[in-house]
Amino acid sequence: MRVGVVGVGCSKFGRRDDVTIQELAYEAVKEALDDAGMVQDDIDLSVVGSVNTRGYELMPAVPVNEYCGFAGKGPLRVEAACATGTAAVYTAYTSIASKMADVAIAIGVEKMTEVDTATSLAIGGRAGNYLWEFHQYGTTFPGYYAMHASAHMAKFGTSEKQMAMVAVKAHRNAAKNPKAHFQKEITVEDVLNSRVITYPLKLYDCSPISDGSAAAILASEEKIKEFGIDDVIWLESAGYASDTSNMTNRESFVGLKATVLAAEMAYRRAGIDDPVKQLDMATVHDCFTIAEIMAYEDLKFCRKGEGGKFVEMEESDIGGKLPVNTFGGLKAKGHPLAATGVAMVYEVVKQLREEAGDLQVDLKNYRGLIHNVGGTGHFAFVMLFRR
Amino acid sequence: MFIESRELLIKHKIPVSRISKYWKGLEGGIVYKTACKKCGETYYPPRAECLCGGEVEWVEVDGEGIIEAFTTVHAIPKGFEWNKPYTIAIASFGDVKIMGWAEDVEVGDRVRIKTGKDETGVWKVYFEVI
Ligand SMILES: [Zn+2]
Repeated sequence: MRVGVVGVGCSKFGRRDDVTIQELAYEAVKEALDDAGMVQDDIDLSVVGSVNTRGYELMPAVPVNEYCGFAGKGPLRVEAACATGTAAVYTAYTSIASKMADVAIAIGVEKMTEVDTATSLAIGGRAGNYLWEFHQYGTTFPGYYAMHASAHMAKFGTSEKQMAMVAVKAHRNAAKNPKAHFQKEITVEDVLNSRVITYPLKLYDCSPISDGSAAAILASEEKIKEFGIDDVIWLESAGYASDTSNMTNRESFVGLKATVLAAEMAYRRAGIDDPVKQLDMATVHDCFTIAEIMAYEDLKFCRKGEGGKFVEMEESDIGGKLPVNTFGGLKAKGHPLAATGVAMVYEVVKQLREEAGDLQVDLKNYRGLIHNVGGTGHFAFVMLFRR
Repeated sequence: MFIESRELLIKHKIPVSRISKYWKGLEGGIVYKTACKKCGETYYPPRAECLCGGEVEWVEVDGEGIIEAFTTVHAIPKGFEWNKPYTIAIASFGDVKIMGWAEDVEVGDRVRIKTGKDETGVWKVYFEVI
């Protein structure tokens, strides 16, 4: 049975001192309901994705669900670190595909700015396996990706300048996205001259600490006909995978195996063998600039080791061979953990419906991809959408 | 407008009884991995039981390691604010990879494994460039 996305919403990302987590969630939910032409009563199941280890509401699913008007319709709380959003979408998708629900909403919401930066770093540094990583060695989230960057640079000659180009592209796109955390263009020099966070990553190599929410309403083909909705973006295929909690148990540090496996699953199910030709755009998990470079390779947009060149040749720009992170990516749009994956659905749906305004890509295949990683490759989801 | 939440301090007691030999090993300058007597699988961090059901034995990690990845942390997380920037590295020692602290390393450097205690009294692995 086909499952389609019939409504999407996304809040303004950034420092949102003005709202609680439930108020923030409702911004996206309201937009998604309006977009679908639905009301709360039309929804069978609510899935609330939230990590919220940085917010005061440690178990936010019920307050969020109630505030959004879904009391009694769930919630199922989902958590998969930074891939929580796509895990929520996957849960909504499989609930419908298995006929346990006809219409489901996936809500991703995160308040990250209620604690100070040092605390935030200490929480993110616990994303792997606490006793063997953070406790002994003081790993931080940027630190994990910085270790990948050091390995990628040593093996393939990937340069700090190429990584900077990922950030420049992200900011250029985000400058045209009013919902993005940053609306300021930057230069390669700005990135290279910014302060070192964790060598070799500098401030502008890192996604910001952002608050935000996003929501997507999914429905069965039958229900979509019943509602008389014609502009549907179908969730064509989904792949998922995971990898070891301890970074030391990975085979290599120049890519993420979970991404490779999730992509293989999604591509196989959708008959994709040449993603650059068969897709019109992609959103990839660029929590750090090196992550986007590794994603190009692991998702087979280019060969292993050529990710730096892919961005340098402007292949991932809007107007390039395969536009990537057209709304500014995690890097400049912001990365409110659980909102991120659902905001990727928002982006792909807006692009495939040709509602992306100044950021619109050319459509030939009417097909787009989302790639969302949890932790440092601990989880990965790859999903394909088609109009 | 804000309201400050009530303070919540969390400090956990982590059970390490089954792998106490590892932690005692660090104090004696030895880094242990475990190896299954039945299927030969090795584990680092060590685990006290093999997934195959076989019994494990404790094996010392020694010899030369090769640095595969590293970073020098400048944005310091809470819990480490007493320290200056520090370098975390991952080195391979045959069939296991090990995390440790190091100084002035590059990917590909050959290192020796050591143990030591940091300023807060936490025992850990250090790498020394050969
Ligand atoms: Zn065994």
